This record gives sequence, C-alpha cells and structure tokens, in this order.
Amino acid sequence: MAADLFYALLPEHILLALILVLMTLEILGADRKLANCVFTISVAVGCCVLLVQLGQGHTATVVPGEIIVDRFALLARLTILGCGLVLGLCSLTTSGTFKFWMLLSSSLLGGMLIMESAGFISMFIGIEMLSLPAFALMVHGCGASSASEGAFKYLLMSSVASALILFGLSLGYGATGNLSVADFAAALQAGGAHITTAGIIILSGFFLKAAVFPFHGWAPDAYSSARLPVTAFLASIIKGAVVLGLVRILGTLTLNSETVAVVAVLSVLSIFYGNITAIRQVAFKRMLAYSSIAHAGYMVFALTDNTGGTVEALLYYVAVYAVTTIVACTSFSLLVNGEKDDLEPLDGAFHSRPLPATLLALSVLSLAGIPPLPGFLAKFFIFKSVIASGYLVPALLAFSGSYIGVVFYLRIVFRLFKPAPLPLSAQTSPRSGWTLGGVLLGAMLLTLFTLVPGVFH
Amino acid sequence: MSDSATVRVQRTMPGFGALLWSSVFKSSGLHRIGAMLLMLSILALSAGIFLNFDGTAGPSLMEINIPWIDSLGINFHLAVDGLNVYLLLLTAILFPVVLACSWSAAPSRSRIFLALMLLLELGLIGTFLSQNLMLFFIFWEAVLIPMFIMILVYGGERAREAAMTFFLYTLAGSVLLLAAVILLGVESLHQTGQWSFEFSTLYGLQLGWGTQLFVFIAVVLACAIKCPIFPFHSWLPLAYCEAPFAGTALMAGALSKMGAFGLLKLALPLAPQVSAVMAPAMVLLAVVSILYGAVLALRQDDFKRLVAYSSLSHMGYIVLGIFSFQQTALHGSLFQMLSHGLSVAGLFLMLGLLEQRVGASYRNLTALAGQAPRLAVVLMLFILTSVALPLTSGFTSEFLILFGAFQHGMATWQAGSGTLPLIATVIACSGMVLGAGYMLRFARVILFGKGSGLGIHDLKPREAVAFLPLLLLIVWVGVWPAPIMAKAQAAVTQLTAQVTDFKHPIPLLASPLKVEEKVEENVMNNGGANGR
Repeated sequence: MAADLFYALLPEHILLALILVLMTLEILGADRKLANCVFTISVAVGCCVLLVQLGQGHTATVVPGEIIVDRFALLARLTILGCGLVLGLCSLTTSGTFKFWMLLSSSLLGGMLIMESAGFISMFIGIEMLSLPAFALMVHGCGASSASEGAFKYLLMSSVASALILFGLSLGYGATGNLSVADFAAALQAGGAHITTAGIIILSGFFLKAAVFPFHGWAPDAYSSARLPVTAFLASIIKGAVVLGLVRILGTLTLNSETVAVVAVLSVLSIFYGNITAIRQVAFKRMLAYSSIAHAGYMVFALTDNTGGTVEALLYYVAVYAVTTIVACTSFSLLVNGEKDDLEPLDGAFHSRPLPATLLALSVLSLAGIPPLPGFLAKFFIFKSVIASGYLVPALLAFSGSYIGVVFYLRIVFRLFKPAPLPLSAQTSPRSGWTLGGVLLGAMLLTLFTLVPGVFH
Repeated sequence: MSDSATVRVQRTMPGFGALLWSSVFKSSGLHRIGAMLLMLSILALSAGIFLNFDGTAGPSLMEINIPWIDSLGINFHLAVDGLNVYLLLLTAILFPVVLACSWSAAPSRSRIFLALMLLLELGLIGTFLSQNLMLFFIFWEAVLIPMFIMILVYGGERAREAAMTFFLYTLAGSVLLLAAVILLGVESLHQTGQWSFEFSTLYGLQLGWGTQLFVFIAVVLACAIKCPIFPFHSWLPLAYCEAPFAGTALMAGALSKMGAFGLLKLALPLAPQVSAVMAPAMVLLAVVSILYGAVLALRQDDFKRLVAYSSLSHMGYIVLGIFSFQQTALHGSLFQMLSHGLSVAGLFLMLGLLEQRVGASYRNLTALAGQAPRLAVVLMLFILTSVALPLTSGFTSEFLILFGAFQHGMATWQAGSGTLPLIATVIACSGMVLGAGYMLRFARVILFGKGSGLGIHDLKPREAVAFLPLLLLIVWVGVWPAPIMAKAQAAVTQLTAQVTDFKHPIPLLASPLKVEEKVEENVMNNGGANGR
C-alpha cells in the first residue's frame, strides 16, 4: 500500500517536491538558470517514470474509490507532462522565472490529478488546481490592464463552470448515493431524469471549460490578453486536460441518443463557428483562440462514438493538438521576436528564418488537417469512429467545417512564403537556443506520432 | 526479393533526398547536380521495373507492405501493377526532364525548389503505386502542399491567387473523398469484421446501392477537379499560367493524371453498378470537356492558355475512354495518360524556355522555324503528338479511345438502350478536327509567321538532350505499342471483368463474351497495323 502510494504517484511527488524546491530557491535568491534547470530535469524525470511504469504495465488502486492508476491514467498523465516539458523548454529563455515554473507545475499537477481520479472529489480538486494557477499565469509578468481583464473573464467563467460541475455532482450524488465516477457513468447509461439532468449540467461545465461553441465567450479575450507561452498553455494543456477529464468520466460509455444528438450539434456548431470566425481575425492569438474553439468541437465530437474507440482517438488528438499548438505558438514567437500579435511580421519570414518558418507552416497545416501531417491522422481517428457509429451526416458537416478552416491556416502559410520584403535581417536573438530546442523536441514528437500512430492503442 | 528492394529504394529515395537537399548542402551547384542524379537514378530504377514488368503478374510482384496502423488495416503497401506501370514511367521521366529544362532558371538554384520537386515526385509515385486506399488518399493530398508552395513562391504576378484557387479547389474535392474512404473502411469492418483499407479487400466487398453512389460521387468529384474536366476546370487556366513553367509542366503532365488514375483505380472497381448507370452522364461530361476545351483553345491568343485548354480537351478523351468500359478504350485511356503527359509537359516546357529567353513578349514570337530550327522541330513534334498524327503516341491513344467508345456506342444502340453513347462518340471525333485546328494555327503563328523575329537562341545541347527521352517514348508508343500494351493487358482485363460482372441490373453492359474476344483481337491487330 505504502509502496503503491510512493511508486504509483511518483510523478506527482516529483512535481510537489519541485514546487517546494522552487519556493525555497526563490527565498534563497538563487539564480534563475537554476530554476530552469530544476524544472526541466524534474519534469523530464517525471516523464521517464511514467514511461517506465507504462512499460511495466503498472496499475494500482492508491486510494480506493478516489485515486486509481490504470493504463488511461498513465497515458493521459504522460501526455500532460510531456506537453508540459515541451512547453517548458520552449519558454525557458523567454519567461523562465520562479513563479512561472511554480504556477506551471501546480497546474500540471492538477491536470495529472484529474487523470487518475476515480471519484469526483479528487477530480474536482484536480480541475481547480488546473485552472487556478492559470489565472495567475495570465497576469504574471504582464503589466497590461487587458491581461487582468482577460484573466478576470476567464476566472469568472471558470467559476461558473466549477459551480455547474458541483451542482451536477450534487444531483448525481442524490441519484447514486456516492461520488464514484464509475457509478455515475453506470447510472447515466441506465438513464433517468435525475441523472440525465446531472449529466447535462456536468457536461455544460466541462464544455464551458473547454470553450465549446455556446460556452466559448471567454476564450478569445482570455487568449489574446495573455502572453504567448501562456496562451499556448491555455490552448494546449488546459484544454487537453479538461477534455481528457471528460474522457475519464464518459470514455467507455455509450451515450444515449438524445445526448449524442446534443453533443453532435454542439460540436458541429463549434467547428463551424470557430473556423468561420477565425477567418476574419488579424491577430495571431485571437485566431488561435477561434481555431481552438473549432478544435474543441472535434474533440467533443469523438464522444458520440459508440464503437469504443473514443479513448484512443481522443488521447491521440489531444496529444497531437497540444504539441502542435505549442510548436506553432513558439515558432510564431521566434519569428516575430517578442510579443507582437499581428501577422505582418510573418511576411516573407521564410526567406530570412527558414527553420522556424517551415515549422510554423507545417504545424498550421497540421492543425488544418492536411495529410500526411499528424493533425490529419488525429482527425481521421475521430471521424472514422464517428462514421463507424453511423453518424455520416454530422461527419460530413464537420468535414466541410474543417475545409473552411483551411482558409485561415493557409493565410499564415501565404504570409510566410511571400517574396522577401526587407533585406535579410538575421536577427536571431542570442538566447533563442533553448526555445528552438523545445520546438525541435515538439517536432520530433509529432514525427513520432506520424510514424507510429498506434502509440495510444 | 531484389525487385521488392528496388521499389523500396525507389520509394524512399526522393524523401531522403528532399531532406538532405533542403538541409545539408549549401552550395548551389552541388545540390542541383545531386537532385538531378537522384532523379536519374529513380528513372533508371523505374525504367528497369517498366521493362521487366511482364503484365502477367498481379500486384503481388514488386511490392512492399509494411504495417503502419495495424488495428485499422492501414499499411504502407506499394506495388507495381498494370494500371500504374505507365504512370510510374511517366513520372520518373518527367522530373529529370523538367529539371534539365529549368536548369539555368532562377528557381532551380534554390534548395527549396529542388526539395519541393523531390517531395512532389515522392507524392506522385506514392499515389500511383499505393495499394492501400488510405495511403493513396494521404499521398493524393500530400502532393498539394509542395505544388501550392511552388506556385506561391516561384509563380508569376498573380501567384497568390492562383495558389489559393488551386489549393482550395482541389481540397474541396477531397473532403467528400475522405468521407468515402472512411465509409469504405466501415463497410469492411461490418462485412469482414475488421478494419481494412487494402484495395484487394475493398474490391471484394458487396456494397449497397447507396454506398456505391456516395463513393462514386465522391471519387468523381475529387478526380474531376484534379483532372480537370468540364464544370470543374475553372482553377486550371490561372494555375497553369501563373505557376513557374517547371511547375506547370509537372502539373499538366503528371498531377492531372492522378485524377484519371483515381477514376480507374477507385470509381470503376469500387462502384461498378453506379459507374455503369452513370456512364452516359460521365461520357457527356467528357464530350463537353473535349469540345469546350477545344473551342476555348481556338479563341486564345496566349499560347500558355491555349495549351492549358487543349489539356482540358485531352483529359476529356481519357474520361471518355474510361467510361466506355471496353478493353480497347481502357488501353487507349492508359496510353492517353502517358501520351498527353509527355506531349503537354513538352509543350509547356517549350513555352517556358521561350519565355525564359525573351520574357513576356514570347506571346508575340513568330517565325521560329527560320531562327531556331532545332527548337522548331522539337516544338512541331510535340504539336503533332497533340494533334494525334499517326506514328505518334497521340494517334495510338485517341484512336483506341474512339474505337472503343464507338464499339460501346454500337453495342448500346443494338441493345436498344439509346443512342446517346454513339452520338457522343461521333461528336467527340469532331474534337479531333478542332484540335488539329487550334494546334496547327498555333504552329503556323509561332513557327512560320512572317515577322522578323527577335533573335531567339536555338536549343542548347543540354535542352535538346533533355527532350530526347520524351520524343523517343512518343515515337515508341506511336510506332510499336503492342509490347507496352501487353504490360497492361492483365490489369485491363481484370478491370473490365470487375465492371461487367455486375451486369444484371444494367442491360447496357450485357456485351457477350464473344465481343470481348473480338475486341482483344482487334487491339492486337491494330497494334500491328499501326506498326507498319
């Protein structure tokens, strides 16, 4: 038991220790470089531990009814932590401060807690731990008042979502008499007005957190007001963790037809809304925000599957989407050299900075879902299970939605390959080495996902 | 074993080359030579495969099959069969020729251009060789990206517009195609109990009418845009005129063949019943393309646009041949893919060379025959192929297509199911006359006009040598097509069998076996007669 508590939760312990060490180091006034180093190494070690456990097929019931470690938990935590590592490497030189690392680590910890929760209490704690540091991250190191506005909006919406989830939970508790995720899912499958209401309310809460169509209002403001690494964090890890949390509840479940209809309609609307609105955007972060609304639509779409492929499809999608988003954001920041948000500096960037420009082009094309990039495979996995479940028409609608999306992703590629406007200003900022390293690590991961698409099967 | 290794090497080389050339070599001379050597070695391998391929073997010889996504039956499965062996040769020949022609042009000095060309070759060969539907789709789409960037970066004044139109048009066709691909996988799941996208499995499925209709519509839409044929051609003039001439030659020569190949590989075998029922409509579209392209070409003053519209007209013949379901016509269509690929690429390259020499005023060129005799001879040969003069490949292919279409029309008429195919064939024949009209007018203006000329340089030896393989192949197919035809015979027989097996709902195709044998004889006779 104690061994399980130690070994199965080793990555969490490492993160906790990391937070404490960082705190101490800050009090001692240590060098920033040390913090970078400690963060990178601990997260990398955490990933390695998870890989080893995955290799052993390690499973454990750590706290009965609350925390269990199964295959899904291992894979999902690896996804979260791996994305954290890539993001950390990418923002090592630009924003590596003690507070940034502490907040990032606690958010990652929350994300991991969601993945291994078997009861709603730990899941709720995980969700809160995931989002609360994010508000602080959005304001941290950013003097603009728009940042506080965006963070405040996010905070408000997020609290509403938490309230909705709590309310749904209490309804569910009334129906099932306990707070176990498995019992809740079983009751939901059995049906009944009480539990269905609870399910819908909880679903709305999650949709609000993941910014699915009618609940998306906060996302553009929040994304555009934060700094670029934080935007990447919001769009990739937080969204991914929320969606995977939903998988934790509903993953192996076959939804009833009413819920499927609602989910399908919302996701198709989300895809259309996100992609169409993104066409009009001129700022990178806002465009990313709308595109992430569309991507939330694809992810939620996978829940309508009744052939049992949801878990693998969504793990793959979340992993690919998160890493691609991080790579895109970071290459963008490399190209514009700082905090500019408009797309003009990208003009002709390919001729002066070929490597980041190529990576940005490839990652946006991957987000658009052009074969043979991993983004296409991710979409393919979702669509194949949706079509196999017999929902051809919604799938066709979603296809056309993603076709619309290609337009604005192509606009970025357009700008990158414009004829060079200004003389080659090879102004590689001297400190971008680590950033480039992070981007390359992300690109390597994406290549791996392309070559071995069955990693999550 | 060695054959499989050959395909494997060939398949992977362009990819590695692209990576290598875009990253390693900095000096501009070296990587151009390296890319050329790579393309030539691919050509050598393909030529070896082409000559060794005897047509009797199914797609079991010369294949590689590596599992990629095992649980979904998506394999990295490539093989040479009778349908793709011409196209493999065509692609392998075109790339070095195009590179040699644009050797001194500005784009070929840049690493990106070479990398794009190699990626394009990779995608094309992958599309033609793949024996797995999903792999086919991935390569089919992957061709778009390098072509898009090539137009965008190296294109003319309106390159942005052209690139965007090209990309969005062709992608629009693929959206439905992907849905159809997945639907076929689902059908396989339901019927055989496991996911599979292998063509061999998919061909064996019993598809319902609705599924077939959906698959047919999706495939035809995607292919009709890619070809392009009549109502879907509006991206064509812009893209063909704005792309760099190397890109145009590749687009018209090789990329457009993907569409025709898709019809052969997907539409006919996967949706045989629907194909049979929809054949009149497709024949109609084909004939409209032939005439419309020809009429538009007649009205053009810009040579590039003229060739672009003539290409629309020639693609119409291919579609006409495919939807005649006669062995002769299918042979003709396969030849037409090869022949049109060679001739149109040659024409665009010629125009490109002229444009490179005199700039935008190439439109006013005239009387080339006196100033640049070698250039004039080569250009004239390509024009004559395009006109389908006997002893060129153009004649062999268009004759076989029209012959087969005519047989089909007669059979339909005699079976009492309407005269539409017959009338369509007769009208299509008039397309040949129109074709001669615009092409010879083009030749008269550019070669034999009365102007004083601008002092054009004749073909350099490098350029002349580059065109040699194209001309040789054109003449070979024109003079002695029988041995080449034999390579595709097994595949064509299999294809017609796949379509005509489903004859019960459609009286149209109830051609007795005897007729088929006669057709085969005719094919052989024709090949021989042509040789004399």
